[in-house]
Amino acid sequence: MSGSPRHVVVVGRDADLWLTATALRSALGPAGVAVAAIELPSRLSPASVHATLPAIESLHARLGIDEATLLRATSGSFSLGTNIVPATGTPFFLAHGAYGAPIDGSDFFGFWLKARRFGLTAQLEDFSPTAMAARHGRILLPDEDTESFGRTDYAYHLPAIPYAALLKSHASRLGVAIHQAVDVAVERDSESGHIRAVSPDGRSGVTGDVFIDASGPDALLIGHALNVGREDWRAFFPFDRRLTGRGKKFASVPGYAELRLSPASWTALYAGQAATPVVRAYNGNQEDDQAAVAAAITESGTALTDVAITPVEPSIRDQAWSGNCVAIGAAACAFDPLFDLDLHGIQLGIVHLLSLFPTTAGADTERAEYNRITRSSFERLRDFQSAVYLLSGLSAAAPDSLLHKIETFRARGTVAPMEDETFTTDQWRALFVGLGLMPDSWPPAIDTTPPERMKDGFRKILGFVGSKVREQPTHDAYLADIGAAR
Amino acid sequence: MAEPDSKFRVVILGGGTAGWMTAAALAHRLPRDRYGIVLIESDEIGIVGVGEATLPHIKQFNDMLGLDEAEFMRATRATFKLGIEFCDWTRPGDRYIHPFGAFGEPWGGVQFQHHWLRLMQSGRDPAPFQACSLAVAAARANAFALPDEDPNSIRSTYSYAYHFDSGLYAPFLRDWSMARGVARVEGRMAAAERDPESGAILALTMQSGERIAGDFFVDCSGFRSLLLGEALGVGWEDWRHWLPCDRALAVPCDHGGDGLTPYTRATARPAGWQWRIPLQHRIGNGYIFSSDFISQDEASKTLLANLDGAPQAEPRLLRFTPGRRTAAWAGNCVAVGLASGFLEPLESTSIFLIQAAVIDLIDLMPSPDDRTIDPRLADEFNRLTTMHYERIRDFLILHYIANQRAGEPLWDYLRAMPLPDSLAHKMALFEARATAPEYQFGLFSRDSWLSVLFGQGLSPQGYDPLADTFDLDQVATQCADFQRRVDAAVAVMPSQQDFIAGYCAAAESVAA
Repeated sequence: MSGSPRHVVVVGRDADLWLTATALRSALGPAGVAVAAIELPSRLSPASVHATLPAIESLHARLGIDEATLLRATSGSFSLGTNIVPATGTPFFLAHGAYGAPIDGSDFFGFWLKARRFGLTAQLEDFSPTAMAARHGRILLPDEDTESFGRTDYAYHLPAIPYAALLKSHASRLGVAIHQAVDVAVERDSESGHIRAVSPDGRSGVTGDVFIDASGPDALLIGHALNVGREDWRAFFPFDRRLTGRGKKFASVPGYAELRLSPASWTALYAGQAATPVVRAYNGNQEDDQAAVAAAITESGTALTDVAITPVEPSIRDQAWSGNCVAIGAAACAFDPLFDLDLHGIQLGIVHLLSLFPTTAGADTERAEYNRITRSSFERLRDFQSAVYLLSGLSAAAPDSLLHKIETFRARGTVAPMEDETFTTDQWRALFVGLGLMPDSWPPAIDTTPPERMKDGFRKILGFVGSKVREQPTHDAYLADIGAAR
Repeated sequence: MAEPDSKFRVVILGGGTAGWMTAAALAHRLPRDRYGIVLIESDEIGIVGVGEATLPHIKQFNDMLGLDEAEFMRATRATFKLGIEFCDWTRPGDRYIHPFGAFGEPWGGVQFQHHWLRLMQSGRDPAPFQACSLAVAAARANAFALPDEDPNSIRSTYSYAYHFDSGLYAPFLRDWSMARGVARVEGRMAAAERDPESGAILALTMQSGERIAGDFFVDCSGFRSLLLGEALGVGWEDWRHWLPCDRALAVPCDHGGDGLTPYTRATARPAGWQWRIPLQHRIGNGYIFSSDFISQDEASKTLLANLDGAPQAEPRLLRFTPGRRTAAWAGNCVAVGLASGFLEPLESTSIFLIQAAVIDLIDLMPSPDDRTIDPRLADEFNRLTTMHYERIRDFLILHYIANQRAGEPLWDYLRAMPLPDSLAHKMALFEARATAPEYQFGLFSRDSWLSVLFGQGLSPQGYDPLADTFDLDQVATQCADFQRRVDAAVAVMPSQQDFIAGYCAAAESVAA
């Protein structure tokens, strides 16, 4: 290739493929970049769901997909976070929003720590409008009051089959050329080693300047064709099987996910309008398929259809971008299934590729930067997952960066600031505290605030949370309101 | 309520800018009934400050303390600062400003420099990149006004710092701190008494024989690092191979020349560079040089030959080694300021580093009940300090390596020296596609990097391809319109001279 790439070929399936192809074409089409999609057979089942993170909203906005359309087309629903039920101990809510607001100009969390030491019974989540709205079956619509209070984000549960279909029709409308294939052959330049073309099912090759591997864990281009290795993360993650199934829908659809931790597995319920998709992670050496299905039914409390079991191998590609091939999604980083981070991994890959889309044939520096920044972002996500396993006793090992974060938190209640985080400081705190990691001290500076002012601050926040939550529509009513109810 | 003698005692050694900034912030932020703060200083020991140039962060620090800006400026003979001018750094005659403000505006989610480069490369002849900044334009016009808080106003696109007399800032903070309960002990330290088992510092013995006991010690003793370096033997990471300057000659002079410029000037010299910091009552000057490349005499002559007005004293020599302590916090001792490391003041980072350390220290201050000092707090403090130093270091080196001053031995060495990988990568990315470093924590911002990357003459081959998705004529119009708004905003700004006269002039008249 010479000059700026004009032809991009995306090889993959499902959201990995369609989100990538749509985003690249949408952003770069006006600059004359053509995008071809080579579509491999879907691996989705009616049980497949994306439990998104709030960030997806901005990508959808970039693609011109508005929320009501999205939810109507997919029978999707809202999610304000995750209710985490530890194997022992009290359930806690991991919200996509703020916990508390500053008191006397100082960060809220230190006051909460101090007050707990002196007998406060209120949980951290009681100070979160987002968590409390979820607990009361409501959603939380951001307004001026909540804006000045703090973050009140939300995410979605999107059934994966209609979501992929929506993105595919978008891609097609934007002029992405679509080729179907069961298998692909990769043709490489003998000198540079770059990919020259990808042939669907032995037909003539689709040529391009840049090739995106969106083929998921198969990594057909970056792994099979280019032999780029992986760094194994299994030491931090105890489970090697992921079971998915489709449970019955709840009479009233919860606006959040639920994660139930067990001594040797976890089960997640992603409530939706049509069904309740269930995911369970466990160790295949300890349970055969039959036992795993039975346990999934027991732990989720619902009958399951469309059950599928797939292997789990958490790992990160040594280079997500190698030569003229960029891996996006699980081909670049195969996350543990906890919190369903795959779609967010795809989004990070897309966003960074767009901001580093090569200007020249060589692209050495873009490649180096892309690999640096995506690795850093993926590692922070991995750390968040790893914290759950480590602190709930499911794993004995964790990355050093997480161990440092835990020690700092245990000492002072501070979340060590690191670049390229997805999860917010409040989310780290809620996770740590919820899993029983209580700090030994609080920032001494908050002791300058008189106890009365602190108590007054608590009362105001609790009052705000209570009245804001009461103003909100129920999740069911809001879905009906925007015309997204089934 | 705790008894006075049960207070957690923080002993600060050294009363310069670092010592009194630490004392003031701790006194303000820590509960007085739980922490006792003592500062030891000697009137016999001079402070290094010679006229300090700061970064905009200092305003947050002063605001945290609740200082009145005009009062502070009067007391320290301060002037406003919109950026730093670099003269002759690429080659003699060349100059650019690193402004405390944005370049242009992002359009359609694409950063300004990409639109600008596209205009350049399409032959549309946009205004020079430097001109696309209100802060630069105001600085060039010797103008100053406080920024507008309305984010839609072009006058919200910059911030400002100060030049002030640090010999006056420390006493200003001393009075402020002592009024808020900080105890001052006059005299010189003779020895640090340590616990034979834990190695913790127990007390400082003064030359007078007085013993000052403490739970926690802050080493603000400057270059000598009497506690962290000498007493605890914490090692030094030497960065001289990247930043070869190791001496400075400082001299104040009368006003003259360009007058009250709202910017610091750093002029490259054969064996280093010379600073110019205009205060209300005089100009601070200094020549930072490498002793491997020039004699002190010659450096002194060069300095004295390049002053705006008559020198007010003999040039004073300072010696230093660029680098940092391998740990800024060890045991029950933390170093703040020069005791923790030294980076030459090319980007006015000395006071920022003090401020960052003090803010981190407030967050990570040992609890008053924790007399053994939690080492996990030190680990996090040291991680943050390392980040600050390394990020600033890379930014400083950038000024040196991209020079075209062929034939001058220091500059020849600088062009050829091997770079930290972290910096080489940042430069390559800019040269390939005008992407500038962007991170959440620590100095410097993307606009700061852009100013120096462009300023040092690095020339990107490409730009973000997303810029090509915009209508070129419209981008050209927007760019020209931006320029007009900059000019209109600067046209109505008062001169710095007039602004100071009406806002914060010290009792003595402002120099004409």
